[in-house]
Amino acid sequence: MSESYGDERANIVAETSAVDQLAVIPATFGAIAFVVGWAIVFRWISVTDTLAGIEYATLLSIGHLLAAAVLCAVGIFSTTGIVDTEPDDSTGLFTALAFGAIAFIGVGLTASQTLGTGATVWFPTSLVAAVLVAGVVLGVPEDLGVTLPVAAFELVVGLVVLTDVIGPSWVWSPNGFSASFVGPIAIAAFAMVGSLLCVWAGTNASKGFGSRGRELGAYALISTYAVALLAILALLIIFVVQNGLNQVLKGAQLWPFKLPFVLNGYGLQYDVNGIFPAIVGTVWLVVGAVVFAVPLAVGAAVYLTEYADQGRFTRIVETATNGLWSTPSIVYGLFAFAFLLPRIQNDVTLLTGQLVLGFMLLPLVLITSREALQNVPDEYRDASAALGVTQWQTIRSVVLPAAIPGVLTGIILGIGRIAGETAPILLVLVREPFSASTPSVLGSFHFTATAPFITNDALLGPATALPYQLFAVITAGVGASQEFGWGTALVLLCVVMFFYAIGITTRIYFRKKLRQ
Amino acid sequence: MSQIETQTTTGETEEQIRDEWLEYEFDGETALSVEDLDVFYGNDQALQSIDMDIPEKSVTALIGPSGCGKSTFLRCLNRMNDRIDAARVEGTVEFAGENIYDDDVNLVELRKRIGMVFQSPNPFPKSIRENISYGPRKHGDIDTGLVARLLGRDDRDEEEELVERCLRGAALWDEVHDRLDDNALGLSGGQQQRLCIARALAVGPDVLLMDEPASALDPIATSKIEDLVEDLAEEYTVVIVTHNMQQAARISDQTAVFLTGGELVEYGDTDQIFENPQSQRVEDYITGKFG
Repeated sequence: MSESYGDERANIVAETSAVDQLAVIPATFGAIAFVVGWAIVFRWISVTDTLAGIEYATLLSIGHLLAAAVLCAVGIFSTTGIVDTEPDDSTGLFTALAFGAIAFIGVGLTASQTLGTGATVWFPTSLVAAVLVAGVVLGVPEDLGVTLPVAAFELVVGLVVLTDVIGPSWVWSPNGFSASFVGPIAIAAFAMVGSLLCVWAGTNASKGFGSRGRELGAYALISTYAVALLAILALLIIFVVQNGLNQVLKGAQLWPFKLPFVLNGYGLQYDVNGIFPAIVGTVWLVVGAVVFAVPLAVGAAVYLTEYADQGRFTRIVETATNGLWSTPSIVYGLFAFAFLLPRIQNDVTLLTGQLVLGFMLLPLVLITSREALQNVPDEYRDASAALGVTQWQTIRSVVLPAAIPGVLTGIILGIGRIAGETAPILLVLVREPFSASTPSVLGSFHFTATAPFITNDALLGPATALPYQLFAVITAGVGASQEFGWGTALVLLCVVMFFYAIGITTRIYFRKKLRQ
Repeated sequence: MSQIETQTTTGETEEQIRDEWLEYEFDGETALSVEDLDVFYGNDQALQSIDMDIPEKSVTALIGPSGCGKSTFLRCLNRMNDRIDAARVEGTVEFAGENIYDDDVNLVELRKRIGMVFQSPNPFPKSIRENISYGPRKHGDIDTGLVARLLGRDDRDEEEELVERCLRGAALWDEVHDRLDDNALGLSGGQQQRLCIARALAVGPDVLLMDEPASALDPIATSKIEDLVEDLAEEYTVVIVTHNMQQAARISDQTAVFLTGGELVEYGDTDQIFENPQSQRVEDYITGKFG
């Protein structure tokens, strides 16, 4: 009796066996190869750099081979019963199809590019290979189906790189394709694909396959994806900062404070040309668009959610707004050029830019505001109505305050998009992209005795904006260097982040107000 | 007693409702007088010609199985059903000598005088103080805004007095008097529900409608609400919907039993309804044979 009790315990308490530790090797290699792959893509290291006297390419290929050997061993140990595992009878259709697809791509590329066979040969060949691989994976028990295909992939990749078939100097220019792929990128790609497979197979094996293995395998794979995503974001920002920081800090000093690139205009009178007019232009564009679009959009959302009968009309409006939101921005630009421009001064103006960006902002703020209003519990409306409070008062003092955080989310997202838009303002905003003069909107309000009583020359004059300036540098190199463009990009990034910071801070404030 | 023989265990029966089951003689004034009230949701009839007089300053319990129309009936009494597009109400409900379904009825005034407390506690995401003063502020009875203060009207003392009176009225003052500026969502479920009662008291109602106010609460919070309801009946007319028959028996003065189909089957003194029901179906329901 006590013996069988002990057996049951053994099933509940996880055992650690040799296979657990062994399987960690490919998983660890996967994690390292993942990082190295990214480093190669971003050219922090070169495949021909050496570590302890060995080139990275060689190191990676040795890693691939090691992982292949270990995975192979784990699979065989498991299936022969040397180590205790709980594999399912089949690897599962999804995994089989995934390996089939990898086989299809691998065999197809080899047959068509290396052996030079035509479509009549390579297509059936790779199809047969894919079906074969998928069938075998589907047919064998899980411990073999998980480890052996990954081991095979790693073996092939490791050998190909180690024997210099695809080495650092390898170049592949596919027929009828203007791009060409070079060795380092291929090696990095191998490292990254291999790393995903190794992480998955290694973690899966370390829990002895079965449902626990699949659980950990899936978790590890998804975590790797998440890290990859964050890495892409971080690397993007780091890349821009790396390239732009020098330009931004050109001639800068702390005391007396000088940041000429950010605070100067562009002209002969400056020793360091700057982008201050463009920064101010972008800020005014965003402010104007928000002032124009947010009241309209929130008002419309209130009407559609609180007053209008929910039915065909609201559905049509919803579809239309979704369509407007996905309309390409160049279409807005053309509309502004053909419709707004002739009606406002018949010349490029800041106001036209603000309006067209406002048009672009409208649908998103409308959609998100509507969602936010719909998420306000009906209990609040009932409670307020039961106190004899009218609908409008209820909306103003209960519903809207509860919806503000959601509305702000929409505004934040929208600003992120419009601040960086070039296409809509391409035709309506700019007379000279590199401007010496800054639009002084606040200082340009003049009161007159006759209609229209208030005038503002800055709003009705041309301006420039950061994304436009960037575009001008890239396309024509108009008067400025590449560094100038990188500096502009960095500042644009900072301006957008600044708007985000404002939006998120306000949202935190309003959320707190609702919660405490 | 032929209806007893046709009785089935599910409570489906040919039993005819007799007028004397609905006759209820009481001393004192009538607060609400319902006459021939029908309610339709689209094509479904939710209430079938209800006649009922509700005495003032007492607790009237509405009981019955799910879907019997008791909540619908309650919502008719302050026209909350107006908020449901598909609902159509026919008949009259007389309050203070007027039919509240007349076209020229002022809904704001009506709901100020007939307040409502809902099934799940629904305080606003505002401070305790703001929850109480919300109604009076919106009705212009209290104004502590900057403009009002500049114009020499400052109701902050009135507000303090009102908040204390309503919280005491809802037996919540002792628990929250030192944190009136905290968010109401930080209170426990039972406290939130008493806050909702206090919020309803703040607009100065004569009648309080309660829609299963304790069904989402634990036993201790429930007993507090029950005590409170009995106290409130000294000043207010309370109409309470409940699922819980013991609760109805404990706290109400008179009980109305609704059964499936939206019929009011029996209405009378609570003791009589629970000890000696005249309808067989009501007896089956109360003794737990169905429902």
